[in-house]
Amino acid sequence: MTEPGREDTIAVIDDDSAMRLSCKKILSKVGYRVETFEDGAQGLEGVAGLRPALVLVDLKMPGISGMEVIGRVHGIDPQIIVVVITGYATVDTAVEALKRGAYDFLPKPFSPDELRLIVKRGLERRRLTLESLHHEVERALLQRRFVTFVSHQLQTPLVAIHQYLDVMRRLGDRQDARAQQQEWLERCLKRIEEMQALIRDWLTLAKVEGGRLASQQAKVDLQPIVAEALQRHQEVAARQGVSLQAHPSEKDCYVRGDSTSLSVLLDNLLANAIKYNKPGGSVSVSTEVEEGQIVVAVKDTGVGICERHRPFLFDDFFRIPSGEGEKAAGTGLGLPICKKIVAEMGGSIDVESEVNVGSTFRVSLPPYRERAGEGGSRESPK
Amino acid sequence: MAETATVLVIDDDRDFNTSVRAFLESQGYTVIEATSGHEGLAKLAERKPDAIILDIMMESLTEGYSVSAAIKHQPAYKDCRNIPIVMVSSIQKSPDERFPFSGDVGMIRPDRYLTKPIDFTKLLEILKTVVVR
Repeated sequence: MTEPGREDTIAVIDDDSAMRLSCKKILSKVGYRVETFEDGAQGLEGVAGLRPALVLVDLKMPGISGMEVIGRVHGIDPQIIVVVITGYATVDTAVEALKRGAYDFLPKPFSPDELRLIVKRGLERRRLTLESLHHEVERALLQRRFVTFVSHQLQTPLVAIHQYLDVMRRLGDRQDARAQQQEWLERCLKRIEEMQALIRDWLTLAKVEGGRLASQQAKVDLQPIVAEALQRHQEVAARQGVSLQAHPSEKDCYVRGDSTSLSVLLDNLLANAIKYNKPGGSVSVSTEVEEGQIVVAVKDTGVGICERHRPFLFDDFFRIPSGEGEKAAGTGLGLPICKKIVAEMGGSIDVESEVNVGSTFRVSLPPYRERAGEGGSRESPK
Repeated sequence: MAETATVLVIDDDRDFNTSVRAFLESQGYTVIEATSGHEGLAKLAERKPDAIILDIMMESLTEGYSVSAAIKHQPAYKDCRNIPIVMVSSIQKSPDERFPFSGDVGMIRPDRYLTKPIDFTKLLEILKTVVVR
């Protein structure tokens, strides 16, 4: 737990002046800013103005009771921590206060340490709540943006297909239209394939994020997975005139993960390396143990990535514009998927690149280590 | 025979452009294509069209509006200010007739607006109305 910062203000509401003074002294000593109020009404006014992080309130006061103050403070700001000071700490009173929204109660008499501890814990709880709220809002925004983006990405090809079919329907019999129809039909099919790829990647991303891609995390030998991935890409590489080279390690390369995720990771890296390559170029995949980490490097002799685009490389849907106003084929989700898979495995991914020379994507993964209670289980063959 | 009317189509999806071109050419129009606002403005400088079909969301969410603002306001395009612009987008116009994003970018109200996929019959009607031939 961190020590309080000077931005944490504490309000003390108690009709007993000795108590107000004492609390102020004890808490300011460890760096909190403390404001005191002698009754509920003034206290609430003060809280409204101050917006403290925490309020200490005595239950037994004339006028507005401590119990009522709890709810009213939360009416001002639900994130303010309220701790009630109780004189006759019967269980009922304490429970009632907690039910009303108090974070905790402090029965009199209490020591300075007890006071400081309860305040510290209350503020920590507040900090965590605020943090998670912030994350929730952020996540909701990202989610909505993602959904808007994906729906636009699906809409665009549907518009194209609709319009091609509409033109074909309207012009069907005409001689000049006939000649072009083949091409239009090809384009419709192409756009449909694009949509399917997008949906597939979108689902993969969702699965990786939801931790559903991996059914189990176990000891996995990386090298055969790399070899299989290279096999899968032989044909498309050959078609592009790109050669694939493997540089396996002589050492053991075991990681904690699952072969599905690792296959997806390698597929994405290999697909990119081939796609952005030059005819006659090559892709080399090396596996090595470096400084205790298992490193897989996918190096291509392709077009490279310029500095300007680097910061956005792993962003959802980012695709390097390939000029002439046409975005590169692909869903733009490949690298974000890789990043998430690698993160799930506790590793890291980065890239080195030079325009027109090529790029090297390096994935660094922690080597497999047995956990307490495990017997060194290997992933069962599929 | 009367000179055919020319329509400039600006949209970052080339299939959109191709299908619009195919239809309009079958109706006797001459079509010029551009796949970005930048390219569209360049084509405008080369040859004045009789109408412009302009996508709203290209490089940025509101690029179409920036392009139309350029055409209506920049001195470089002063000869083009009266060319009717038909803006297109897959976003529906809201019930109160406000154009998509119009609240955000203090903008030019397009002469006409069509949602994608384009209703080619409506497009023809619009062109017949706005193109003075």
